Amino acid sequence: MAKKKQEGRSRRDFIRWTGSGALALGAASGPFFLFPERAAAQQKTLKILQWSHFVPAYDTWFDGTFCKQWGQKNNTNVIIDHINLVDLSAKAASEASAQKGHDLFMLLSPPAAYEKQTIDMTHVYQEVEKKHGKKIDLGHKSTYNPKTKRYFAFSDSYVPDPGNWHKDWWADAGFPNGPDTWEDLRIGAKKIRDKSGHPCGLGLSQELDTSMAMRALLWSFGAAEQDEAGNVTLNSKETIEALKYMKALYQESETPEVFTWTPPSNNQAMLAGRVSFVANAISITRQAEREHLPIESKIMVSRALRGPVRRIAAEHVMDCYIIWDFAENKEGGQQFLIDYIDAFHDGFVAGQFYNFPCFPSTVPDLKKEIASDPRATPPDKYKVLGDVLDWATNVGYPGYGSAAIDEAFKAWVIPTMFAKVARGDETPENAAKAADEEYKRIFARWK
Amino acid sequence: MAIARARIKSVGAAQSPLLGAAMFTPAVLYILLLVAGPFSLAFLYAFSDARIGNTEMHYVGLENFRSILKSPSFRMAIRNSFIFTICSQIVVIVGANILAIALEKTFRGRGFIRFLILLPWVAPIALGAIGWKWILDSIYSVISWVLVALHFYKPFNAPMWLGEPHLAIASVLLVHSWRLMPFSTVLLLAGRTAIPKDIPEAAAVDGAGFWRTQFQIIIPMMRPILSVAVLFGLIFTFTDMTVVYILTAGGPFDSTQTLPSLAFAMGIQGSDLAAGAAISLFLVPLLIIIAYFMLRVAHRAEVN
Repeated sequence: MAKKKQEGRSRRDFIRWTGSGALALGAASGPFFLFPERAAAQQKTLKILQWSHFVPAYDTWFDGTFCKQWGQKNNTNVIIDHINLVDLSAKAASEASAQKGHDLFMLLSPPAAYEKQTIDMTHVYQEVEKKHGKKIDLGHKSTYNPKTKRYFAFSDSYVPDPGNWHKDWWADAGFPNGPDTWEDLRIGAKKIRDKSGHPCGLGLSQELDTSMAMRALLWSFGAAEQDEAGNVTLNSKETIEALKYMKALYQESETPEVFTWTPPSNNQAMLAGRVSFVANAISITRQAEREHLPIESKIMVSRALRGPVRRIAAEHVMDCYIIWDFAENKEGGQQFLIDYIDAFHDGFVAGQFYNFPCFPSTVPDLKKEIASDPRATPPDKYKVLGDVLDWATNVGYPGYGSAAIDEAFKAWVIPTMFAKVARGDETPENAAKAADEEYKRIFARWK
Repeated sequence: MAIARARIKSVGAAQSPLLGAAMFTPAVLYILLLVAGPFSLAFLYAFSDARIGNTEMHYVGLENFRSILKSPSFRMAIRNSFIFTICSQIVVIVGANILAIALEKTFRGRGFIRFLILLPWVAPIALGAIGWKWILDSIYSVISWVLVALHFYKPFNAPMWLGEPHLAIASVLLVHSWRLMPFSTVLLLAGRTAIPKDIPEAAAVDGAGFWRTQFQIIIPMMRPILSVAVLFGLIFTFTDMTVVYILTAGGPFDSTQTLPSLAFAMGIQGSDLAAGAAISLFLVPLLIIIAYFMLRVAHRAEVN
């Protein structure tokens, strides 16, 4: 036994030594070893939820660079969750119902319905405007409630919604610079469809891209869902003209596939070399560049199409950050947004010009930067987006993005109205009247 | 003697009120928390002005019901809910009977075929629906690709399975039937194997043919099992929103919208919790009536 003890160490020795070592280490590291919660109390936590960006490089920068640095600087553990854009509404609803969730929640459309559960963002806007000047009207109208005079959200950026067209086919059809007006689109798309069979890809489905494209068509013809004061104005002769136009475009140049589409469908159709024109953000061309697809150099980008009344299109998506009333780190969320705008230019570059700034001074040379992009073929492909603020507007134009507008948007009233007329299931007059009544029903519920 | 004593002990324990209550509690809790709770909330919301963004609500009587009755989407959703439920049940019961008859016979590879037939039931419905979405996709549909390759259609004019209202309705029906058929097949197969062999044999001796045996002997004897299969099928289809949500999102232009998918669209996505709750409550009386009749049929069959 004695021999055994001399040769090695007993278990009792082992426990004694390791125990002493642990105590010594604990003493050296101060009271946090024994009371870890005190250490945690020193560091705050900021929980952020936002979409999985269409340009993955943006998320890499946001998570890996900006949030990391901001967290270190502010002694905050920043937790970022990304989810699919179509799940954002349901997730926001569940957090609001549970009164628990993330501190900062980013939605892609004006979340006016949540106003009573979010903090007023006036302070954040004021702080940002001190440094970066006034926000654009699009940002204001998407996050402000004129009745309560509160900013229910904060918008850092918006995404333009240009046209995407196939260079060769449009050149063959006599439009080497692509369609510039809705009339060009109708004439050129028909020529292409007749000659090569390739249909036009303007969606008529219950989804985001269709909703934006159909609103652009309505506004270009002088129609609107509501007036500036928020009264429903859908049943108008301008709406009927826009409906007649879409019916003609569909019957001459489209196929029923446009009724089936989800948000990525027009990207897929364009990249598969199937359709001649779609209305979408620059995610299509960015994907082609990223994956080095041969079609990349064939897809061009155009400004919003001009209609009989004006050239106009909706933003494709609108970044709207809210801070819940029940958020645990409201101050951190506000400071994060203020600091995020300081770094917006880096995000603009990382996102490959996908998100345009709501505070134009953060990207002072925007026109110059987008006019020469080495990733694109030709490098000046995105130059046409330089005057985007002249033609981009908010959902709910000429009014505000209210809760009623948001519900009507998500009930897909506008795409349904256009689709029924395009298929010939409803006359333009009856469809406009029915949609107007549905809008009035929804608006009455939010009064 | 010792075994007998142990048996008596175990019977005594089984009859103990405490043990009974303990075993019953999880089921009661489950029903209260996950069924009765949400149902009561839906009832409360349906008569209020509840919105997702509001923490307070007020009683508004029948206003929500009046409002949604005016909605053309709602009327379409009611029609579709019935079409999908009734038609898919007809397809499922006919198909499951045929499969059960085929699988009752002994043949090589029967186990494997049974496994294959069960797969759609075992796989999560969302996964199956996503698979079907790609099969029926407007650009990548393998069915359309084959039809074009065989020169039945030109490249840009293949059928749009989810783009034409009647094709989209048929597609949703197909997926519902595909999903429910395995469950009904297993039930009917179990029912068939439980029928004593001497009954159809005696019928055959008396000169009854295949159809007569099926319709006058086997199917009447299987009525309780059939009722269960239909009851489950009706409830699963009537309350399901996954298939429609993934396959068509209610489109084209609301032509495949159902009550559950519309309730989700209005209540959760559209933030109008009260309207969503009112729509979902429309399901309740219908489901109660269906359940009552089906259970009555099952009970009568049991008594007989």
